[in-house]
Amino acid sequence: MKKVLVVDDEENIRLLYREELEDEGYEVVVAGNAKEALEAFHSTDFDVITLDIKMPDMDGIELLRIIKEEKKEIPVILCSAYGRYKQDFRIWASDAYVVKSADLDELKLTIRQVLAA
Amino acid sequence: MIDDHLGLEILKEIARIASSTLDLDETLEKIIRVIQNKMRIDASAIYLADDPGNLLHLRASSGLPVEASGHVKLELGKGVTGWVAEHKRTLALPEAMQDPRFVHFPEIQEERFVSMLSVPILFDDACIGVINVHTLDRRDFSAVETAIVETIANQVAGALRNALLFHNSQRLLKEQSILYDISLAVQTTLKLEHGLWVILSGITMGEAGGFNRAMLFLVNEKTQSLDGEMGIGPDSPEDASRIWAEWGKKNIDLLNWIMIEADRDEFKHSKFNRFVCSLSFPLGGERNILTETALQKQPFVVTDPRQHHLVSQEFIETLGIEAFATVPLVAHETTLGVILVDNRYNRRPITQEQLRLLTRFTTHASWVIENTRLFSKLLDTNQELLSTKEQLIEKEKLAALGEVSAEVAHEIKNPLVSIGGFARRLEDKLKIISAQHAEIADLKKAVEYSNIIHNEVDRLEQLLKNILLYSQAGTLQRGDTNINEIIEDVISIFKSGFYGRNINLNYHPGDRLPPIQLDRQKIRQVFINLFYNAMDCMSEGGEFSIETRAHPQDGPPEHVTVRINDTGGGIPEEAFQNIFNPFFTTKSSGTGLGLSICRKIIEGHGGTIHIVNNIGTGITIYIHLPLQKPADYYKN
Repeated sequence: MKKVLVVDDEENIRLLYREELEDEGYEVVVAGNAKEALEAFHSTDFDVITLDIKMPDMDGIELLRIIKEEKKEIPVILCSAYGRYKQDFRIWASDAYVVKSADLDELKLTIRQVLAA
Repeated sequence: MIDDHLGLEILKEIARIASSTLDLDETLEKIIRVIQNKMRIDASAIYLADDPGNLLHLRASSGLPVEASGHVKLELGKGVTGWVAEHKRTLALPEAMQDPRFVHFPEIQEERFVSMLSVPILFDDACIGVINVHTLDRRDFSAVETAIVETIANQVAGALRNALLFHNSQRLLKEQSILYDISLAVQTTLKLEHGLWVILSGITMGEAGGFNRAMLFLVNEKTQSLDGEMGIGPDSPEDASRIWAEWGKKNIDLLNWIMIEADRDEFKHSKFNRFVCSLSFPLGGERNILTETALQKQPFVVTDPRQHHLVSQEFIETLGIEAFATVPLVAHETTLGVILVDNRYNRRPITQEQLRLLTRFTTHASWVIENTRLFSKLLDTNQELLSTKEQLIEKEKLAALGEVSAEVAHEIKNPLVSIGGFARRLEDKLKIISAQHAEIADLKKAVEYSNIIHNEVDRLEQLLKNILLYSQAGTLQRGDTNINEIIEDVISIFKSGFYGRNINLNYHPGDRLPPIQLDRQKIRQVFINLFYNAMDCMSEGGEFSIETRAHPQDGPPEHVTVRINDTGGGIPEEAFQNIFNPFFTTKSSGTGLGLSICRKIIEGHGGTIHIVNNIGTGITIYIHLPLQKPADYYKN
């Protein structure tokens, strides 16, 4: 079973992602901020990480840099409420960029794609 | 016999009478009475000459059978009185009937008297009347008596002059007050035709201009012609007398009457007005009196139109004129029009007095026309300012919208994702349960409700996406792009949708289009919006065509044109005014941002988009995109 780390500061979003992805057959761990996320990242080997960009303590792009410095091979998908960060060159380090939507099909598809790559 | 003393007494009294009243008839009556009483004669009469001076009217008398009035008229040169008037010399006749100049006039029965003294009333070397005294017994009039009557004649002349001056000043006063009322009425109304009506009414009103008819022609700059604008005058001679009578009665409160009449607009329906409005004379064509009045800025008075080289027989017959006058309307050295007046119905000759008034009225008319033109110009400018202001407000609104929307969208997006995401999950779960328990009707309802939440959230997400797109439309990531590639990409997205709705897609890409500096994503968004709209309005099928062309020689800046055409029936006129306004939509589920985003993006590229709306058929959209960046273009 593939392991997914979901990082998002919104509790409901975490719940939604967890349930949807578990239904897809993934093992899901959730983190509500950068600190929790790094703890989980250091204690478990994940197959894929989804990162919310806008978070109160540290933004997802900074977190992305730390993760990629430590384990370059783990695919990271950036999730954002809107597409503004698509123009930010720092997101190039990520493996994919998904605009958040109530329709999670795009996210699921992206996860499958990065796992297959 | 009258002695010097009595003579002096008579003259004193006459002088007192002459200076005591301004009413001429009253003065003459009093003078007659003094002559009668003091001079001990049997009859006396005062005759006054009429305006041309051909006839002598009996104005005051005593001892004659006829009451003093205008009934008795003596011809100049005829009889003793006529001779005195003609020769301006006094005649003292002890036996009047023996004189060869004596003529028998039955109505005054002068033959009853024996002696007669006839004295001319002279004024400025012209005879303006005669004073006669008669006695039943023979009398040799003394030098003193003759001198007294001659002095009385001088006094009468003075009284006459005073009366005339008084009459003139009364008339001027009246005229002034009419002009004042008319100019007030003109200033009170800002409607051109009302102002003109007031002036033409003034020209034709008995108390003022007194012309029977007035026709106004205005210069039409576009067609270079003099066009009939208004005609005031009766439709027929019978109508004329009725109207004059009505005006006579109503001019007590002239201003009020003018305002009421002007508002009633009744003049428009008169046959005469309609006739005048149907006339038109080209300014560059054959010369006639009207066009010459306009071109030379000169008035004309035509007493015999048949003899006038600028008046044709046709002109006479069309307008039904005899003697007439024309005056130009001039403001700031420019001829605005021409007024033609005549006295068709009472056939009175046009007097200097009438012409003087006409000039005053036309000056007024010129002001009215000029004022109205300036006023309407002012209105236009005002309108322009207002629309510029509206455009500015729209731009400010958009800028503010852009800033706020990015923030708001982000804050809304997260809860929306939760709501929508769970609604979908709920829907899925309920569907499964509902399939297992088909007997529970409420479960089916619950599926339906969660589906509604799911769909509504989708709609909100779309709205947010559009708002964000709109707020970001300003910043462009441009690169050399072939527009055909973008269009082909969009066609591939819509191909199946069009096919499913039975819409025929005709694509005509232009050959060898030069690359344009475009933001691929944004231009793609433009075509997606436009294709989507077209698909939406042709849900029953139709023709959709898109064509690209290069215009290398089509004036600066060189540009590429995209022409899109659909058969979706066009846009209702009201809606069409607003299609580029943000948040305006005709669709029940649209955000109303589609076309305003398109325009913002196209204009951001220095291009233009405009829509030709054929109601009932469809719309054609033209997009022009310059080959150069706008910044480069402005640098050149």
